[in-house]
Amino acid sequence: MDNVLTVKGLKKTYGKQMALAGIDFEVRPGEVFALIGPNGAGKTTTLRIIATLLTPGDGTISFLNHDFRKEPDLVREKISYLPEEAGAYKNMKGLDYLHFMANFYARTPEEEKAFVDRAVEITELGDRLKTKVGTYSKGMTRKILLARALMTKPVLAILDEPTSGLDVLNALEVREIVRRYVKEGTSVLLSSHNMLEIEFLSDRVALIDKGRILDSGTPAELKERHQAKNMEEVFRSSLR
Amino acid sequence: MKKFLNLLKKEIKELVNVQLIVSLAFTLLLFNFVGQMSRKEVQKAIGVQTISALDLDGSASSQAILAGLESARFKIERIEEKTKEQAIDIARGGESKLLLVIPSGFGDSLKDFKPSQIETYSYMRSFSLIGARGSAIVRGVISALNNVLSDSFLKEKLPGLDPASLKNPIKSKDFVIVQKRMAEASASEVAGMVSSQSLLIPVVLMMIVIYSSQMVISAVAMEKQNKTLETLLTVPIRRTSIITAKMLAAGLVGLLSAGIYMFGFKSFMGGIGGDELKAAASQGGAVMRQLGLYFDTSGYLILGASLFLAILVALALAMILGVLAEDFRSAQSMLMPLMFMVMIPYFISLFADINTVSLPIKIFILAIPFSHPFLVSQNLYLGNYGMIFGGLAYMLVVFTVLVVFAARIFSSDKILTMKLRIGKKRTVVA
Ligand SMILES: Nc1ncnc2c1ncn2[C@@H]1O[C@H](COP(=O)(O)OP(=O)(O)OP(=O)(O)O)[C@@H](O)[C@H]1O
Ligand SMILES: [Mg+2]
Repeated sequence: MDNVLTVKGLKKTYGKQMALAGIDFEVRPGEVFALIGPNGAGKTTTLRIIATLLTPGDGTISFLNHDFRKEPDLVREKISYLPEEAGAYKNMKGLDYLHFMANFYARTPEEEKAFVDRAVEITELGDRLKTKVGTYSKGMTRKILLARALMTKPVLAILDEPTSGLDVLNALEVREIVRRYVKEGTSVLLSSHNMLEIEFLSDRVALIDKGRILDSGTPAELKERHQAKNMEEVFRSSLR
Repeated sequence: MKKFLNLLKKEIKELVNVQLIVSLAFTLLLFNFVGQMSRKEVQKAIGVQTISALDLDGSASSQAILAGLESARFKIERIEEKTKEQAIDIARGGESKLLLVIPSGFGDSLKDFKPSQIETYSYMRSFSLIGARGSAIVRGVISALNNVLSDSFLKEKLPGLDPASLKNPIKSKDFVIVQKRMAEASASEVAGMVSSQSLLIPVVLMMIVIYSSQMVISAVAMEKQNKTLETLLTVPIRRTSIITAKMLAAGLVGLLSAGIYMFGFKSFMGGIGGDELKAAASQGGAVMRQLGLYFDTSGYLILGASLFLAILVALALAMILGVLAEDFRSAQSMLMPLMFMVMIPYFISLFADINTVSLPIKIFILAIPFSHPFLVSQNLYLGNYGMIFGGLAYMLVVFTVLVVFAARIFSSDKILTMKLRIGKKRTVVA
């Protein structure tokens, strides 16, 4: 099968500041692909470009064999994006928020209901969804945002540090959600600087630093190649 | 369309929150309360007022003055058998705001055709204008008495001649011409009525502009502050739809709240003015109709279109300011320049005639889109249709340019990077 996303030689500068110095990777159908790297490596920049929020610099991006630059609206139909720092409308009740977001993707009221039902199942928040988002804890907010990103069964879900700011248990739950609900035709592109999380979550990994891809492959391949016990060691070794 | 309505509904819901409703209700109550209070004060001022009077003369003439005042709805409290100084003291302790002293010899000097004097002492117990009306009315009564007295002098000395034409040998009959119509009135009266007619336009415009732009600005800034903007921008809906939904929601809610405020304001003014003002207005109205200085349906349509365009321009500007701002608070301060843009033409229209100011100032004023609604009624009355439609076209152009610009910003990196720059640099340093 063709790749969901193919990125070749992608560059991006903010003014004079170089953020991406030409990166290549591809996301295959049904896989979880992770970008890992330290702060300022260029992860968010990459994900925002794929999410049509930032304009790409040099390089080519093809999404489902469509030219990415020419058809941003088509891309937006088929992706969903969970920003690194995100919130939901505080005055809305959880359920209303899900309906509001589902409405943009659903073609029929039945489909909208199906999306919301799926999100309710993902969040496991139950009756709390009838209260306002403003009253939610960080973990609850993150879960509802993640649920909204996955409820529409997008072709590609882009998750920027899905577990950022969460405690161990909440992070674990979020990871399990990603693992459990990513099948059924959804691929995931995520970022993290938590190397251990990556091992659990991802099928393939790209190590990124200073706007360049250092190495990529399955965690097993990478550990083997760098003769390392875990991903942290892989990262240290690939920096040399 | 379904997506747009979904978004519009959400924008309106975000704007119509408890805070807005409470503040609207509070303002309505406040206007009502102040209006009621003022009405009471006005009634007190117009109603029977007490005046103290010390008549040291006791002649027929001095009695006539006091009787005249009494017939002008004053209650006269006579102070008898006291000196002037004592009377001043007594009146100070009382309630009356005015002491009238008629010196002895008043009637005699009147008879001898010598100038005669009466003294008034006003006790300023407050500095409100309505409170000071008492002494103005006394002056009116005195001048009426002056008239009567001088008429009778003239009749006595020059029998057979009409005193009125003796006092004012030249009479003027005033006519005002506006284009091809003519009516009997003075120019200053008509100018006064026109300006009071269009007084409401700037007030309405200011209200709506301030309300709606505040709403649009906060609608964008809140999305940034609450970190919902990024998600919204990746949703499959066109950027122009996002902008339009926000502007439309703010425009509608702004219009509604301005309407409610106006209603409150009107009931407040009604409270102060009462029936007197209404009568005067209907008299002036006849003159204005005769001169064609009133709005017919097409006039209202033009004025409405002009106001509407001005509001759209304000909203588009506010949208851009909102995008530039980092968060809600800085967005609020961004609103200041916009307010000034509305205030400048307002103040200039108060003090100067836009048609006669020097060219650079005129260009400056006309370049501000918000000036045009202020000028509509003038231009309509004077038949300057070129100016009117030029103004409308200009506002439309400005609006289009602003919306295109706003849409550009919305689809460029700026909408995200503008707020991020500072924060990101810091994380890199750390
Ligand atoms: N709005 C911006 N303006 C200027 N430079 C920026 C901006 N956003 C990011 N950068 C720069 O681009 C580079 C990559 O940033 P990016 O946010 O993509 O990193 P990241 O890998 O997501 O880091 P983190 O783990 O901290 O989220 C950094 O050097 C950063 O300073
Ligand atoms: Mg990041």
